[in-house]
Amino acid sequence: MLPTITVDDKKCHDPLACRKCLLICPTHVLGLGAKVGPKKYREIDPNQFIVAGVRFEKCTGCMECVNVCPKSAIQVSF
Amino acid sequence: MCVWCERYAGGYERWYFNPANYARKLYKIRKDEGPELQPNPVVAGGMALIDRGFVEALDRKDHEAVAKMRHDVEQLAWTVHFGQVVTLEDILKVIDIIYPIALMTCACRRSMLGTPNEENFTCMGMGPGMYKWERWPETYRGGVQFLTPDEARDAVTKMNKRGLVQTLFTFGTPYIGGICNCDYPDCSAIRTTVDYGIQFLWKGHHVARVDNELCNGCASCIHRCQFKALSFSASQNKAYIDLFQCFGCGLCASECPQDAITMVERTSFPALANVW
Repeated sequence: MLPTITVDDKKCHDPLACRKCLLICPTHVLGLGAKVGPKKYREIDPNQFIVAGVRFEKCTGCMECVNVCPKSAIQVSF
Repeated sequence: MCVWCERYAGGYERWYFNPANYARKLYKIRKDEGPELQPNPVVAGGMALIDRGFVEALDRKDHEAVAKMRHDVEQLAWTVHFGQVVTLEDILKVIDIIYPIALMTCACRRSMLGTPNEENFTCMGMGPGMYKWERWPETYRGGVQFLTPDEARDAVTKMNKRGLVQTLFTFGTPYIGGICNCDYPDCSAIRTTVDYGIQFLWKGHHVARVDNELCNGCASCIHRCQFKALSFSASQNKAYIDLFQCFGCGLCASECPQDAITMVERTSFPALANVW
């Protein structure tokens, strides 16, 4: 069964600095992107980075990311 | 035969030994061509092209829908940005062809692990594009470290030793602009290819063959395979390689203390000659 993984970007401010969820996931489901897309010749503000369940078909539903998130920003449902 | 060699080898043994495929004019000419040939960051890694619809179609075994989406994604990737696995020996020859070469940060590990820039210099860029990287380090995160050919050979050899697979990537095929040093599961190209069967990364020109007389079952090689091709036969107490799944990177062979694994030309096996 495929999960729905949602990350509340308003709660998750600087995932590049935190990255707890990225490192705890046993199947490397979560990934990091930028809300604004690539910007030519400009640095992207760290708070423009977002986490998403990009490889969600490998999600086992272990909920470790949900539990590790200091901002309670991640929800996983099946 | 490798379709890229058929199209772009230009008389050389392999397409990536043909200096024309690293030529500056290929890098510049793209601006005058249609939108499908422009450098497209969305294509990088192949991931952004695969939406939930593809994974759901896979999940419900809708083979027709999967085949259609796979075909479309592959056609775009092969035109704009795809890779091929290359042995260390061949990569060292490539380094003799192209200048400049620079280390840069790996976009895949940044996005999958959030790896900080200073720990993430595992990607190598080649050719004129590197000057752009140097000029706008804030855009490309971490900037570039230009290498002499000797330093480049040393860097790529160390990454191979560490267990990273060498791959060459096009940026507007056939322009070759990058040597990536990849591993599963954080390399987007390996993962897209192995997990989804979308051929974003092509197999290389070799396959790894185990000599059962020489293999003593020490299993030193087992952790080296990034493509789920290598396992351990408990019944024979030997390394076992699925030759149809082998990408021909050579990582297992270079780790074998008995020299029991040999890299053999893919085309020397009739059944593998068209398995890419």
